[in-house]
Amino acid sequence: MIKAAHVSYQIGNKSILQNVDFSLNENDFLLIFGPNGAGKSTILKLMAGILTTKQGGIFIGRKNILLCSKKELATHVAYLPQFDEFNLPMLVKDILLSGRYPYGSLFKKYSRRDYELFDKTVERFELADFVDRNMLTLSGGERKKVLLASAFIQDVPLILLDEPLNFLDPSSAIQVVKMLKEMHEQGKTILLVSHLIQYFFPIANKMLALKNGQTQYFGEKRFSASLFHDIYQVSVKRLMIDSKEIIYIHE
Amino acid sequence: MSKKIYVLAAIVLALMFLTPFLGIIPIHWQTIFKSNPSSFVFWQLRVPRTILGFVAGSILALSGLVCQNLFKNDLATPDLLGISSGAAAGAVLALKFNLLVSFIGFGGLILFSYLGALSSVFFVLLISRMVRNSSLYTFLMCGVALNFFYSALIVFFQYLFDFSNTFSLLRWLMGGISVVGYREIAFLGMLLFIFLFFVFLFKQEFLLASAGDHFAQSRGLHVARFRIYSFLGLAFIVGAVVSICGPIGFIALIVPHVARIWGQSNFHETVILSLLLGGGFLVLADFFARILMPPVEVPVGIITSLFGAPFFLILIISKLKKVE
Repeated sequence: MIKAAHVSYQIGNKSILQNVDFSLNENDFLLIFGPNGAGKSTILKLMAGILTTKQGGIFIGRKNILLCSKKELATHVAYLPQFDEFNLPMLVKDILLSGRYPYGSLFKKYSRRDYELFDKTVERFELADFVDRNMLTLSGGERKKVLLASAFIQDVPLILLDEPLNFLDPSSAIQVVKMLKEMHEQGKTILLVSHLIQYFFPIANKMLALKNGQTQYFGEKRFSASLFHDIYQVSVKRLMIDSKEIIYIHE
Repeated sequence: MSKKIYVLAAIVLALMFLTPFLGIIPIHWQTIFKSNPSSFVFWQLRVPRTILGFVAGSILALSGLVCQNLFKNDLATPDLLGISSGAAAGAVLALKFNLLVSFIGFGGLILFSYLGALSSVFFVLLISRMVRNSSLYTFLMCGVALNFFYSALIVFFQYLFDFSNTFSLLRWLMGGISVVGYREIAFLGMLLFIFLFFVFLFKQEFLLASAGDHFAQSRGLHVARFRIYSFLGLAFIVGAVVSICGPIGFIALIVPHVARIWGQSNFHETVILSLLLGGGFLVLADFFARILMPPVEVPVGIITSLFGAPFFLILIISKLKKVE
């Protein structure tokens, strides 16, 4: 069980999050949405342990994540930042294997099991052509796939994603969504921040709407045109085609 | 290990075997085991110089590689943290005030420039400690400020005092690997081994740090802490080189570039290539420093920068051309 209990966060005098409170069960898929500056990325960073706050707490199981070491936390949570900062050449192989870093010790970095997981992941996500390539030579979509796969190799129950479809063309976006769906089916708990509700609303089961750092809605996913209008000031519509949910923005 | 590395290792080894025999006074190989002036020049001057050149060059190259990973920027060198200028300021103090202390056989000049090098990183760490959530930017700003401060200090002392020591100071600032004994070599050699050990031990950490702070943290690495310890270690190792050889420019910047291109981002190969290229480059540069304008010896720092800068530009331009 993952819980954010009455979390607030400030930068200077500016309040970024106010009393955000939610809890998730195993294998939930939470979609977090809200306008720019609503505090979506902040809540994700707090859950990943990258930012810390004393007001409220984040709990995994019964444990406050502030009490976890970075390494321990990385065996529970994988986090994919919105912007990746790769400036230096690095092999895809090394990025993927870095998912096993939290399980290693100072002298023994990777075990046989780590390499097995590596092979399995490469096969599952069809990355065999990439492993020896340089991260800098990949397209945005390929890079996201590799990063997502490295979170999978990390083998943690909880995956946090910040705008995973940023800068992706439709075909790459759909591949990434497919990967996410598969991970969800594998039993992972997923927290995802995105404006692209048309992609993620249909596959999520819970949703959290934020505005100005405050919770507008948290709970089971339900389509509410008025909520979307409150949040984004646009009208969002839903269509059912062959029992498939299609969400679209209608001007 | 690829073939490139073996070829390069062979070339560097050959270079190291050959250069001590060559110079203004060529030395015949048959004379080196006899007791005569030639064998003295060979064993007491040229051989230690060659070894020191290799060790210092490879340490500088490795330090550049590590810095570039830690700063996530391929233009970073230990100089960014003020290590060289700190060492220079220490050297100025030692020369100007004639500080003739010695400690386990190391003279005042080496000692004080080492302290100077360490002081800069000490200040950088102190300041970044005072700021909560210090980022790379904090380190960088501290380093820039310290560089200016130490440079001003050097010029100030130069200006204030008599000019008697100015030449030896200037000579020191240009970098050179001439007057050393085996003690310094043993010391630096040991540091090189320690350095290599840590680079390989923390391979994964260096890779993660260069991938980005948030990424590294989400993989369980405490990046900020790792970076601080690494900077401290770098200051100890690079400070030693600078205090013995003076600030030798460009190796830390240029060699990792070449190594990365040849090593095709494979970490182990890049490290080994940096080591060989850095060492080989300094041995070669020092050889030219000896033979270019006899009997005057050109400071090796001048050679490395003079040849390094255009080579670096050519490299960058050809790389950019490929991208087009």
